[in-house]
Amino acid sequence: MTTYIIRRLFLMIPTLLGITVMVFAVSRIAPGDPVSLSMGPGGQMDAERAADVREARMRLYGLDRPVHVQYLTWLNRVVRLDFGDSIKHHRPVIELIKGRLLITLTLNIIAFVIIYTVSLPVGVLAAVRHRRFFDRASSVVVFVLWSLPVMLVGQVMIGYFTGPHGWFPPSGLSANYADDLPFFPWLWDRLWHLVLPVLCLTYTGFAYLTKQVRAGMLDNLQADYVRTARAKGLSNRTVIFRHAFRNSIIPVITIMATLLPAMLAGSVIIERIFSVPGMGLLAFEAVTTRDYNVVMAVATVGGVLNLFGLLLGDIAYAIADPRISFESVE
Amino acid sequence: MNGRSGLLTFFIFLFLAVMIVLQILAMVQSDRLYERLNMLLDRLTSGGVARVSQVQQSPGKKDLPMEQYPGDEGDWLVWRQGAEPATLNPIHASGGTYSRYIVSGNIFETLLDYDPDEFKLRPWLAESYEVSDDGLEISFRIRNDVYFSDGHPITADDVIFTYETIVNPEIDSAHMANYYQDVDRAVKLGEREVKFFMKRVYFKSLEFLGGMEILPRHIYKFDKPEQFNKRISEPVGSGPYVFEKWDTGRKVVLNRNENYWGHKPKLRKIVYQFITNFTAAVMALRSGDVDFMRPLPDQYAELSNDKDFTEHCDCLSYWHPAVGYFWIGWNQDRPFFKDRRVRRAMTHLIDRELICATLLKVPEARIPTGNFYIFGPQYDSSIEPWPYDPDKAKELLDEAGWVDTDNDGIRDKNGVPFRFHYMIGNLPLHTQIVKLLKDKAARVGIEVIPDPYEWSVFIQRLQDRQFDAVSLAWHGGLAQDPYQIWHSSQIGNRGSNYVGFNNPQADAIIEEARRTMDEEKRNKLYRRFHRILHEEQPYTFIYTRPEQRFLDKRFENVIIHKLGLNQHEWYVPIQQQRYH
Repeated sequence: MTTYIIRRLFLMIPTLLGITVMVFAVSRIAPGDPVSLSMGPGGQMDAERAADVREARMRLYGLDRPVHVQYLTWLNRVVRLDFGDSIKHHRPVIELIKGRLLITLTLNIIAFVIIYTVSLPVGVLAAVRHRRFFDRASSVVVFVLWSLPVMLVGQVMIGYFTGPHGWFPPSGLSANYADDLPFFPWLWDRLWHLVLPVLCLTYTGFAYLTKQVRAGMLDNLQADYVRTARAKGLSNRTVIFRHAFRNSIIPVITIMATLLPAMLAGSVIIERIFSVPGMGLLAFEAVTTRDYNVVMAVATVGGVLNLFGLLLGDIAYAIADPRISFESVE
Repeated sequence: MNGRSGLLTFFIFLFLAVMIVLQILAMVQSDRLYERLNMLLDRLTSGGVARVSQVQQSPGKKDLPMEQYPGDEGDWLVWRQGAEPATLNPIHASGGTYSRYIVSGNIFETLLDYDPDEFKLRPWLAESYEVSDDGLEISFRIRNDVYFSDGHPITADDVIFTYETIVNPEIDSAHMANYYQDVDRAVKLGEREVKFFMKRVYFKSLEFLGGMEILPRHIYKFDKPEQFNKRISEPVGSGPYVFEKWDTGRKVVLNRNENYWGHKPKLRKIVYQFITNFTAAVMALRSGDVDFMRPLPDQYAELSNDKDFTEHCDCLSYWHPAVGYFWIGWNQDRPFFKDRRVRRAMTHLIDRELICATLLKVPEARIPTGNFYIFGPQYDSSIEPWPYDPDKAKELLDEAGWVDTDNDGIRDKNGVPFRFHYMIGNLPLHTQIVKLLKDKAARVGIEVIPDPYEWSVFIQRLQDRQFDAVSLAWHGGLAQDPYQIWHSSQIGNRGSNYVGFNNPQADAIIEEARRTMDEEKRNKLYRRFHRILHEEQPYTFIYTRPEQRFLDKRFENVIIHKLGLNQHEWYVPIQQQRYH
């Protein structure tokens, strides 16, 4: 097992390099550049001066050098964990990411837990009540939720659930007076602000997971060993939970590894709608302002998180299913 | 068999998990406590509290440039901003409007200031100023009772430091430095007296020099330029507010400067909250989390008629010189737009009244005929906008030789069909205007191809002049110099004369006006320039519209000046105050 993990960790290096090369190339191929953007539409500067200033800035950010040299300089710094400064914010990129990553992770992990706690029982129950009312109804509901576009739902939620007599705050992470609050009211205020963003982040996730659990359960419930267990006279509950459920949970674990990265990507939209200062909003702004250092850093951090997610998924796989082993067969 | 032990393990894990969560919560809490403690300590050491006695103010003793503000003390103003500023350093080039709103006038002050009700400069940090007869020497005498928020008096050294930092080529202040190209050098005449020598006469020099936001030298001084370039936060100035904190991604908080040398404003705090989404911002306003915001024209049109809304909020609509104008520019390098008759035909094709009334939804919007502020003295209000008249457009196009020779429904000349790309930013209003124009143009035999671009690409193409027609809005100003946008020397090389307007007569007027110190004479020149623009139609001027704001009703003494709003005058009656 340990050798396997070490081997996987080493294999992550070329994958990560590949990711950074791709993102670097895409960000430089995209038209537009941060210098033109920071100089704005103009109207203020004399022509000669504008050209000089532009050249000086290109030099300052190292954008005048050939692309491969730029990439190697970047890589050289990143190996020493220096992501450089943001072109727009004039701050070290690490500093920008630090606070925001925590917010995005909080948001996603809460959403994650909710998706699992809702989907697992619904999936199991749907399989047990196969082709009965609960199965059909839950199926319709999760698919309707799945097909609602987040942009629209977010706006509608802000429109209906917030406002003077509304239930939730429309944006941000805490109230204006939050700094003066004692701890528990502060925490309450923070949670209250998280309700709508988390809701938006979760509702689309139910369908996928519920259907996976349901399908897995159905397969297993029709398997011979379940019939045997029933024939042994075990109670229905024991059959479902001890036998069928444990076997059908394996695909669910693999999904976990792919669902987390997908949700990190989805939170870009949600953070923007609810003005939540997380990684998504940072990434969005960085892409639209061509803030190359931030784009690269966000991509790298996202890549590392993804790769670790996949690795964790594989390890959890081995733990949940004794038939799977990563030791070489002797 | 192992059912019970499994349950036990589960509970042990649950217990451990709960303990870990509680531990994390406790850590967060102690972090918060330390943060608050540090902030208080900072404020103590930076002199905010400790130095009050040093300044020794006796209120009302002096002739201050501002009037005593009426009303009760206290409460906050929560100001919605659409985006986070990149820096709070007033002379960084990347500052832009978002940082302006926060620091200008609140934290930093200038030697001279525009009187809000008359379009005239008046002394502010300066006690008096003098411009020599030839316009080549400008001197300022600084008041002897003005202090930075940390108690240091403002001296000539601070003014010279600010000027020299701005023009330092290694400092990230290129936009600013551009304004001071005509200044030769600054000389300290005394502890509180500075004189600037000019290379040449320029009527805006006084405004630019008087408009520098004075930085305290003892705080901003630097050995290496990067040190200054990286100093983006914790601004210190002389204004009525001091910086408290910047929660990145969320808000900037300013506290009242209790040592302020002038009359103190009544509001204790101004919070600049960053909310990107307009719908969310309006909801935050309705639920009382936000007090002040600039709405979208649609929102304004809808909510200003909503009784429920206007009970809690004032809808303010007002003109001021910076409103600017929205335009469509015709690239004169293209065969179609070389001829001014064609440009005029294009103007005749655009129903600007319809745009103002139905697309923009601001009935107060006006159609300008030139580049100046429509209520300003440079604007020639006797010029009438070209009317919407497709028949006249057809006539002009025929006259210019653009006729449909090959009967394909599109006009052509010398084998070039009249088909052009119209570059727009990705905004709903732009898209709607393009559709309107496309439709009208098709009826007279011109094909318009809409070219929407993301902002960063848009800017790049604009600067490289890769467009046939483009629409954009320019900001306005009180005494504007048309040089950067209209002089022929600004074509290409990343100058801002993007449409390639080249008119020797206009060039001569622009150059003469720059050297004319007499305002009346200069304005006369500008009115002549305005008429040339009207005849030539390098742009089709679409609209200029008043500013619109929503403001919570609890604020009193909200006065609309000729120069807009001034939040330092506002107050909230004590029984209606929301924050304590």
